[in-house]
Amino acid sequence: MYIKEVCAISPQLTYGTEFESGHFELHDKGILYAIEPSYLDFIPASLLRRMGKAVRMGIGAGLPLVKKYPGIEGIIIGTANGGLEDCIRFLNQIVDYKEGVLTPTSFVQSTPNAVAGQLALMGEKTGYNSTHTNGSLAFDNAMLDAQLVLETAVKPMELLIGAVEEISDYNYNIDTLNSHYKSESITNEELIRSTTAGSLCGEGATMCVVANTADHAIAEVVDQFQVCFPGKEELTGLINNFLDKNGMSPKDIDLLLFGNSGDGRTDHWYNDLQQELFPDKQITTFKQFSGDYRTAGAFGCYVAVKLLQGNHRIYGFDHLRRPRTVLVYNQFGGERHGFILLRGNQASIA
Amino acid sequence: MEISRDDLKLEFKQHLITYLNLLDIKVEDIKDDEPLFGGDLGLDSIDSVEMIVLLDREYGIKIKNPTEGRQVLVDVNTIVDYIIANRTK
Repeated sequence: MYIKEVCAISPQLTYGTEFESGHFELHDKGILYAIEPSYLDFIPASLLRRMGKAVRMGIGAGLPLVKKYPGIEGIIIGTANGGLEDCIRFLNQIVDYKEGVLTPTSFVQSTPNAVAGQLALMGEKTGYNSTHTNGSLAFDNAMLDAQLVLETAVKPMELLIGAVEEISDYNYNIDTLNSHYKSESITNEELIRSTTAGSLCGEGATMCVVANTADHAIAEVVDQFQVCFPGKEELTGLINNFLDKNGMSPKDIDLLLFGNSGDGRTDHWYNDLQQELFPDKQITTFKQFSGDYRTAGAFGCYVAVKLLQGNHRIYGFDHLRRPRTVLVYNQFGGERHGFILLRGNQASIA
Repeated sequence: MEISRDDLKLEFKQHLITYLNLLDIKVEDIKDDEPLFGGDLGLDSIDSVEMIVLLDREYGIKIKNPTEGRQVLVDVNTIVDYIIANRTK
């Protein structure tokens, strides 16, 4: 499976060229809110006024790609929570108004498949349309789905895949009570070095155009792999098998892009895997840009593609050698682990 | 104290903007006799449901008959007249 283009709305200025030019957006309020573009430039006001933030970000990142690639036949989205703010607002209304007359918009916009559905309506796409909601592996499953669709296609095919997650005040408070986030005040620049409990909350939408032919591709998704509740030794063996299945070994990986979240309770998964299998490899992280959320792995993919394209002006990446292969590893809460193996487009490298 | 018809129009327009999340529309942009549907506001059928919810929650009015709804949800004047005649709160 090949990646033709990527687009992201994130807590960094990824929608323009600033992020790739080395700008780093510092967040010091404990929450990394996405920096949203001016949607009215390309989303009609009559539609925009009904969209919750997750839908807005998903459309904002996906619609330009759908318009640019008219050959896109299907849309596959991964989201753990979808339009959570609208969802909880709707649930609260059921209680507040004693199951009486309810406003339809919150309900319509809060369903996880609102993003893929709205993209299909606005892009006039009537093909395969699916949304995966498997918590922190939602994007990994969307990618697996795309892989299966493209591998079984009998002709050249393009799909839009992506992930969306929004910060909802309600859920942020629940996750805070559940110790997901740090109690002390730190900036996102300090996040990865932190060893205390919890992380910083983030949000965003990442979209990719993928295809089963290498024409005009900027990267290749060699394979992806996911596992739930593994033991440490088991995980090491599984990664070896995963690489072996793709004709590779740890020495063939040029760069590890890890989803360290600065959570002292779970970052050992990354550190131990690196020491066990990749002790002499280049390693870097991406959640200092995005914060932590369940489908942040999609943003990791976005960053990996930029690195494979040879962009080392991204903040903090100037010391990295241009990789030909990147292994993106992201886990959430030490329970669900996703790996995405990417390779640079050899033609573009040459 | 009973609210005047003009104040009620103003209040209704504010509710309309809030409930329908009308971006970049101000109270003064909504004319009293401008058709709410098919006019410059660009409202659609989902907005009509939102307006029924608005009337229920803010004024205790329940519109259950679609024919009645079509006669009421015409413009601000017709809705405000209906509110004055039927409000329960």
